Amino acid sequence: MAAENTKVLYGLYNDEEVLKGAVKAANAAHLDIMDVFTPFPVHGLDPLLGLKESRLHYLGFIYGATGALFGFLAMTWIFVSDWPTMYGGKPYWSVPAFIPITFEMTVLFAAWGMTITFYTICGMWPGVKAKTLDNRITDDKFCIAFDVTNASDSSVDQLKGFFQNTHAEEVNVKTI
Amino acid sequence: MNLNTQFVFQNKTKTLLIAGMVLGAVCLGLTFFNDDPYHTRFWTNWLHNSVFFTGIAFMSMFFLSFQITAFAGWNSVVKRVWEAMSQFMWVGIILMGVIVLGVWGHFHHLYHWNSTDLNLTDPEAPHYDRILAGKKSFLNPIWFTVGTIGFLAIWYFWAKNLRQASVDQDTMETSEFKYYRIQRKWAASFLPLGGFLSTVFLWQSVMSIDSHWYSTMFAWYSMVSMWLGAISMTVMLIIYLKSLGYLEYVTQNHLHDIGKFLFGISVFWTYLWFDQFMLIWYANNGEETIYFNERMTHYPVLFWGNLLLNFVTPFLILMRNDTKRKFGTMFFVALIVFFGHWWDYFYMIKPGARISAHEALELAEGKHGDSHSSVAPAKQEAPAAPAKEENPVAPAEHAADAHAGEGHAADTTADAHVADAGKHEEAHPVAAEAAAGDHGDGHGGDGHHAVDESKAFKLGYTLPGLEEIGILIGFVSLFLFFFFNQLSKVSLVPLKDPFLEESLHHDTGALIESEEGGHAHH
Repeated sequence: MAAENTKVLYGLYNDEEVLKGAVKAANAAHLDIMDVFTPFPVHGLDPLLGLKESRLHYLGFIYGATGALFGFLAMTWIFVSDWPTMYGGKPYWSVPAFIPITFEMTVLFAAWGMTITFYTICGMWPGVKAKTLDNRITDDKFCIAFDVTNASDSSVDQLKGFFQNTHAEEVNVKTI
Repeated sequence: MNLNTQFVFQNKTKTLLIAGMVLGAVCLGLTFFNDDPYHTRFWTNWLHNSVFFTGIAFMSMFFLSFQITAFAGWNSVVKRVWEAMSQFMWVGIILMGVIVLGVWGHFHHLYHWNSTDLNLTDPEAPHYDRILAGKKSFLNPIWFTVGTIGFLAIWYFWAKNLRQASVDQDTMETSEFKYYRIQRKWAASFLPLGGFLSTVFLWQSVMSIDSHWYSTMFAWYSMVSMWLGAISMTVMLIIYLKSLGYLEYVTQNHLHDIGKFLFGISVFWTYLWFDQFMLIWYANNGEETIYFNERMTHYPVLFWGNLLLNFVTPFLILMRNDTKRKFGTMFFVALIVFFGHWWDYFYMIKPGARISAHEALELAEGKHGDSHSSVAPAKQEAPAAPAKEENPVAPAEHAADAHAGEGHAADTTADAHVADAGKHEEAHPVAAEAAAGDHGDGHGGDGHHAVDESKAFKLGYTLPGLEEIGILIGFVSLFLFFFFNQLSKVSLVPLKDPFLEESLHHDTGALIESEEGGHAHH
């Protein structure tokens, strides 16, 4: 999301295929799209917007590896040195018995780590006020938004013309 | 888009595959003449490859069936590949039929329960075996016949009809659901048939080699092994067909989804592999742990290689998004996983059959007083006591000894027992003396023992030898010959499949920077 008090011009579309056509047209006309909002992930939209592959999964791997190491070493410490306990005549350092906990820790660390990282990057903390352009973009509308805070009247007209040519259902301006 | 729909089985390919089959036959012949009098190496190779390749055909059918049942749409363009693969079950009936004939005619000693000349299940006989007597109603030639070729015949009937419904669909004018509904009936009813009967198939043909041992995880684990064989085979075949100019509408997106299956099911296999091990390790019953003790001690390369090929490789390579979309990488991983699961079946079949055959040989020569030296009957508990007195070690290990039915059945953990193993080597002569005459354990006695021989390094058992690789090539050739022949009979694409359009436009939505964005958008 953009900074405070951004003036946004946005158009709403009824269909994801029409939206993808509009994004292609915007690319052809070298229009600078601020963002696109869709109610569900639209396959093939990311390359059109020139988005890069997320790096979140690299962190996911690191979190998972940390969890695996933590789980295994914690079990080792607990059952070998801190509180040696004999189960069914097994040696204290019984690796097979540690594997399930190691696995669970891997999943736990990866899941929590990635979730917290994602929320942090997106600035989504408890109490954050949602800045929504239009409530219908979480329901059935597909939206293309342009930042027009510092745009001249002529370029705003150009953008409105673009929305008309690409069959947008409606065009609105909103400051968020 | 060019729908090049007719596969042509080139004469050149035919010649090559026939050459492969000849190589396989020669290698089978070599293993037949260079082994013990029971030709165990030949028979285990035959069983190993028959079960594995028949299993691939079976799992292709199973894979296809649950996708049809779930209304999956992405797979229409590769459906014909699975349909053709599943028809190999017909050949599987013949391959397994040879094993069945061998059971009835006693040509081989793969299955200890089949040694009827020893009267194992007769309480009055000298070789009476309580465990096998208890399993008599299931481990017998009649059940073996039903459980292998009988069930295969049922599966094949389903596979044939499912394919027929799919082929009939091509004659329709429009893409209606008429024949799809017929396919769904065959597919949905195959799921319980395949799911339940495959467990019996695997108990009979593979698990009963170790006839004293059983594992409730076994059928799952070996079925998933077959499944991975089928998935990796599919990947390789699709990439091969694409390299010939067919299936150009199969994109990276389809490959990506099959790659996810390859990755996910590999992890699932590992879960089952480890689960089977851990449950037995935890329970620590003598009859059960001996299975792993045997394999980890005398077949360590087989045991750990299994994990390396089938878990570490696909897990680390296919974890990334883009590796599942590259044809070269996918082919490489599929090749390793395919070989890995062939290796897995090698591991399931070879050590056990080797021990049964050696036991049978020794019994035939009358050297043994006891019919099952590799499995611990309750009366062998004696060794535990002297071992304890001689070697005061950590209390945990003492308790382990006391718990196990047999001394060395206790050390089953992967790595913690090097010292423990040494202790047993030391303690055993004493133990054997203490229990002398009572049982023919391979550690004491006259030096020429079945168990000792059956544990020594030998190519073809401890590791696959060159002949085994030749036989693998032979069976792959047989499978491919049959597959290509089936594939060339009908259209490569189910042209009137109601999901064909969805499949042609399949897009996983994955974002890979290096890729050109040109996959089938309209």
